[in-house]
Amino acid sequence: MTLAAGIGYVLLTLGPSLALFVTVISTKPFLILILLSSTLVWLISLIVLSGFWRVFLPIKATVWWPYVLLILTSVVFQEGLRLVLWRGYKKMEDMLDAFADRVAKPRLYLSDKMQIALAGGLGHGVAHAVFFCLSLLTPSFGPGTFYVDKCSYAPFFLISAIISLAFVTIHTFSMVIAFNGYAQGNMSDQFIVPAIHLIAGTLTLVNLASGGCIVGIPLLYMVAAFTLAYCGKMVWRTLTETQIRLTHQNQ
Amino acid sequence: MEGSILESIGVEIIGVMSPVSICMLLVVLLVYSLSSYSSPSVEPIRTAANLVYLEAPSDSTSQKIEGSLLNALVFVILIAVVTFLLVVLYYYNFTNFLKNYMRFSAFFVLGAMGGSIFLSIIRQFSIPIDAITCFVLLFNFTVVGVLSVFAEGIPIPIVLRQVYMVLLGIIVAAWFTNLPEWTTWTLLVALALYDLVAVLAPGGPLKILVELASSREDDLPALVYEARPTVSRNPRRSSLGLLVGGVSSDSVELEMTRHNASNSRDGGFIEMMDEETSPLVPNSSSNSEFSVSVGTADRFQQTEIIENEEERTPLSAMLDMRTEMEPRTRNEDIQEETTRGIKLGLGDFVFYSVLVGRAAMYDLMTVYACYLAIISGLGCTLILLSVFRHALPALPISIALGIMFYFLTRVLMEPFVVGTSTNLMMF
Repeated sequence: MTLAAGIGYVLLTLGPSLALFVTVISTKPFLILILLSSTLVWLISLIVLSGFWRVFLPIKATVWWPYVLLILTSVVFQEGLRLVLWRGYKKMEDMLDAFADRVAKPRLYLSDKMQIALAGGLGHGVAHAVFFCLSLLTPSFGPGTFYVDKCSYAPFFLISAIISLAFVTIHTFSMVIAFNGYAQGNMSDQFIVPAIHLIAGTLTLVNLASGGCIVGIPLLYMVAAFTLAYCGKMVWRTLTETQIRLTHQNQ
Repeated sequence: MEGSILESIGVEIIGVMSPVSICMLLVVLLVYSLSSYSSPSVEPIRTAANLVYLEAPSDSTSQKIEGSLLNALVFVILIAVVTFLLVVLYYYNFTNFLKNYMRFSAFFVLGAMGGSIFLSIIRQFSIPIDAITCFVLLFNFTVVGVLSVFAEGIPIPIVLRQVYMVLLGIIVAAWFTNLPEWTTWTLLVALALYDLVAVLAPGGPLKILVELASSREDDLPALVYEARPTVSRNPRRSSLGLLVGGVSSDSVELEMTRHNASNSRDGGFIEMMDEETSPLVPNSSSNSEFSVSVGTADRFQQTEIIENEEERTPLSAMLDMRTEMEPRTRNEDIQEETTRGIKLGLGDFVFYSVLVGRAAMYDLMTVYACYLAIISGLGCTLILLSVFRHALPALPISIALGIMFYFLTRVLMEPFVVGTSTNLMMF
């Protein structure tokens, strides 16, 4: 029974990512490589952050302001990392295009670029889920479960799986938004990503209050849904714009 | 809409990474499911890897370090001796002996070590099976495995061969995870260093072996995982080179060999000698302009690519020059040319999996970190391969990254992540 529960938690967190992986990523080897390297980058960022915060651990549960600082520094650091990733991606795109010219294949399509961004985002999301949720799931496969005092409505594993799912969604699609924003020089796209990340991070602070997760988790899911909708709208807009431009050129 | 280039880049890398990932995953699952079975009271086994010193939990740290260093030293010396022996045998053309010996060791690994692992799986999950059926199944499994390791004259599908290579890796790695902790770490470091020396240093046994094999146009007399070859030589073959800024690299071979030597199981004594190589061999026979080929269509495609390449980089020009220097008639080689992929020695499978399996005994978090580190190390090695174009050791980078990430995760990350996420805080 507990084994089934454990697998259920895993699928709850990673089910959507798994579907994305199977349908979009796994057919193109290069996207798998992007996914793996982006996961590694996220892991390194987490190690750097924890190396910095290790000195101040453990934080007393009664004070909340160190947690605010922690979330702030982490989000700022990771958003900075996204810029670095973008630089790297830019270089890689040039190389890919040069390579495509050489082997007489078409250059990267717009959809290809978006898929690369998606793979990068999925890497971040999966890394988040793996390190914040899956790695703590080991006890859930054994007998018994675990409840946290501050949110005793459901087992800790279930709650962390639910929160992780929201974050996987946010990480995955905010990368698409960010890369598209950088490519088009669209300021609002560029700034909405750190904003979303910061808001989502601060919303988890609500969980520190006793019973706060009842409020915090729905709010978090609203942020995730907003990210998804925003990304969908932006992709639709970009695709239709290029379509129109292409048909105009052909005429 | 034409297929984009995204589909064609990195096929070779994934072709090597996926079996390694499968191997590691299965070893981790095995370690997890069997760890509850083998209670700590079980006698620690004595293998060639801990001949000198048997670690006991009560020993002091300095004692453990000293003992494990000695163990690793003895093991590496043992491996080096066996490797040299094999190289000497190969040099004097005892190829048949070597192949039969390899078959014998594969038989032993699959039959004895694999058998005992199956037994413990059966016991762990209480699978109802009678002894005779079990024996027949095991025997069949072993015989097919032995046949597929060196299939001469028998058309054995490459998938089967690959499956058995991964299985061999899993079985040996699962045995290595029984070693005590300190010995495992020092052993891994020592092997990575040995690998570096044996493949790169002049006079290193594996370097000699690889050079001999390529000069004889022979397969390496060793257990090597061969990635699934791409069907024909079309432009997508050269995609690996893209990753290093346009250096074309057709048919790079990452070869790593591992000979799993005898292991006798008398009186609980298990001796394992591993001769382990990790060369990345440039396949000088590829794209040779002299290939007097039969299939004309293929031939045209080939020459086309060669022309493409000649404009590219000095590196590929150099390769072509080398091919010119050794013009051989290759009427029958065409078949072989198209069936060669990147090769990775079984030793890498084993020791990558040992590292991950050891990490699995601590926590899942270290498993993920080590997996990512090892895979990225492998990726780095493959990229280096397309730069240097000769046999490269695949252990050092991966093992170094793996061990580094293990301890970083254990010391730094775990308290941080556990601390924040038990407070239900994430970012």
